[in-house]
Amino acid sequence: MDTLVAQYSQPMFEKENHGEDDQMELYQPAPSLSLKFAMPPVAQPSAWLRAATDDHANPNCPIKIAHGTTTLAFRFQGGIIVATDSRATAGNWIASQTVKKVIEINSCLLGTMAGGAADCQYWLAYLGMQCRLHELRHKRRISVAAASKILANLVYSYKGMGLSMGTMCAGVTPSEGPALYYIDSDGTRLAGNLFCVGSGQTFAYGVLDAEYRYDLTEQEALELGSRSILAATHRDAYSGGFINLYHVKEDGWVKHGFSDTNPIFWKTKLEKGEFSNVTSEMV
Amino acid sequence: MSFQIPLQAQLNNNHTIRKHVLLGITGQDFTLIAASKAAMRGATVLKAADDKTRQLNKHTLMAFSGEAGDTIQFAEYIQANAQLYSMRNGIDLSPSAVANFVRGELASSLRSRKPYNVNLLLGGVDPITLKPSLYWMDYLASLAPLPYAAHGYAQYYCLSILDKHHHPDINYEQGIKILRMCTDELKRRLPIDFKGMLVKVITKDGIREVDYDDSARIDCP
Amino acid sequence: MSAMFSQNPLMNGPNYSFNQAPATASGGNTEHSFYPYTDNGGSTLAISGNDFTIIAGDTRSTSGYSINSRYSPKVFKIGGTTSSQDDANLVLSVVGFAADGEALKERLDAIVKMYRYQHGKPMSVKACAQRLSTILYGKRFFPYYVTAILGGLDEEGKGAVYSYDPVGSYEREQCRAAGAAASLIMPFLDNQVNFKNQYIPGSGEGHALQERENIPLPKDEVEDLVKDAFDSAVERHIEVGDGLQMLIITKAGIEEKYLPLKKD
Repeated sequence: MDTLVAQYSQPMFEKENHGEDDQMELYQPAPSLSLKFAMPPVAQPSAWLRAATDDHANPNCPIKIAHGTTTLAFRFQGGIIVATDSRATAGNWIASQTVKKVIEINSCLLGTMAGGAADCQYWLAYLGMQCRLHELRHKRRISVAAASKILANLVYSYKGMGLSMGTMCAGVTPSEGPALYYIDSDGTRLAGNLFCVGSGQTFAYGVLDAEYRYDLTEQEALELGSRSILAATHRDAYSGGFINLYHVKEDGWVKHGFSDTNPIFWKTKLEKGEFSNVTSEMV
Repeated sequence: MSFQIPLQAQLNNNHTIRKHVLLGITGQDFTLIAASKAAMRGATVLKAADDKTRQLNKHTLMAFSGEAGDTIQFAEYIQANAQLYSMRNGIDLSPSAVANFVRGELASSLRSRKPYNVNLLLGGVDPITLKPSLYWMDYLASLAPLPYAAHGYAQYYCLSILDKHHHPDINYEQGIKILRMCTDELKRRLPIDFKGMLVKVITKDGIREVDYDDSARIDCP
Repeated sequence: MSAMFSQNPLMNGPNYSFNQAPATASGGNTEHSFYPYTDNGGSTLAISGNDFTIIAGDTRSTSGYSINSRYSPKVFKIGGTTSSQDDANLVLSVVGFAADGEALKERLDAIVKMYRYQHGKPMSVKACAQRLSTILYGKRFFPYYVTAILGGLDEEGKGAVYSYDPVGSYEREQCRAAGAAASLIMPFLDNQVNFKNQYIPGSGEGHALQERENIPLPKDEVEDLVKDAFDSAVERHIEVGDGLQMLIITKAGIEEKYLPLKKD
């Protein structure tokens, strides 16, 4: 009752125009990538959000958020290979075939994107900001371990709210050498040699595990990374588009192209005789 | 009024079924069929040397997974009919004829009151043309002739390996080598222990079990 | 009532009236009383060229099978110094829930205006694109039910189009269609703007065929493409029609064109 009285005894004009927060937003010279989010005025925001946006829980949800991916990264003698596809899907609709799923956090750190596109883009940008602040404060670059922990702690603080991300942080620092971490929105954070993330992960694992060795040459490693993504785009309908390839070395990352899968598939099939299940014979 | 002993909660859904591994690979003159050896019920392994295959005639072998009970009932029903045909006519059905017969039976069962819930792989070598063949069929009776095939979680891990390493003209040793890559990957990545694989090979001379040692420990890199 | 409003064959989704909650949702407690969204239909389209960007949208506003308005713009100039927005250099299009679209436009416009006031220069598209992303993400847990497209000219004077999902993931693209008829228009654009699946005749056999070279299109050709895209969408989608509003951004400023579409 008291809350009801309080609610209706406020002056009528108070909520008109911009609220105080909205006005403050305008005066800030730069918006902070802040931790203040608008919440729906209901008892259980996360259940409400799931009903409105999660097309897995509710296939008829009105707001479709981009999903679906294959990403991989592995450590080898010459550094770290990072490779992804480039397809974004919203339900059955292919929202984009040209998504950049490797996010360049800085010249030595890469992040990959699987799950909610906006979640990954926003929080990896936030991570980039935190990494730069660390550099300014401590006069040296942040370790991959620390950077990945910032992200893991951050997403853990939002656990249950509906964030969806499966990401890998790959980087080289003088203290750790090449380092690779897997972080997801459940709060898992793992260091490792080899990870595949996304709906096409199993297909990528299949090809990658079969020929992975730590002493791969640079050429072999790049080829294996790209072939694993090709395998996933072939078998997983939610993956496709282009193969985005990166190599993280001692002195920073190098990009090795953003290449269309279609010509690569036919080249692989016709020149190496792979994909023998694809035939033009009528059976 | 009778007391009931709860046997098993309704657990036998797709998830349990998918844990069974079925793999098939064709080569230049043979077909390999591999099936996991574990017989599982809920969270229990009831038997670690189960044979999920039935020989239908001299040159055709069927591997099956799916709803407990349905699998063996259906497989043995098909086996009996295939053998009956051979006895009556003095000649075996060809693998393709068997495959289409099985499809017909499963399709009519699907439209009955209580359909068989069975996924199948049919491997064979045609005794006349000597061509090896492999047929993939799911419980909805969709039939596909393929150079290599899998059922259950094996699909997700093995098909990409087979996409890369399979060629239609591989010999038996190469076939076993590719199969080894597949089973190693399953042991590496599947969180369940399927108790190894039972492997059989079909050639023009008939069907025989392969001595397949997969006791080695495989670790994640 | 719900059965009547639940058929949208293309997007395979329902058209909500104001207080209709989604029919199903799993996982514990669901709020059925609070559902502040509706879909007002319509479609938008943006194409960038070498020295221009065109952003267009139809002007129909619907709810369910009813047409609320035949002239309700979805494309807005952003960040001019006056209310007439004559000297604006950015364009925002919003499609989905019109009220959220309006709120988003007002918010972005205020922010871009403040930026000009504080920095003494207009905001670049690149900066505005990033800012719009954070605005959308700020409502990650209570999203704006809109698909936004932002257009302008980049620092080199080249056309720039940025497209967004409702919670702010964004990407710079050559072209983008959004809204109810996105699935009708986007494949047409892939073929006609990016020349997808077009090959040079006689350049080879089978897989050796060479792809048609990608060249930036001239402005008048793009204008024609936009008109054709909308004329076609109107033929096959009930939520698109009435009028076509086109904003053409060049270094000379923003030219606005209005063309009638079929009204049935």
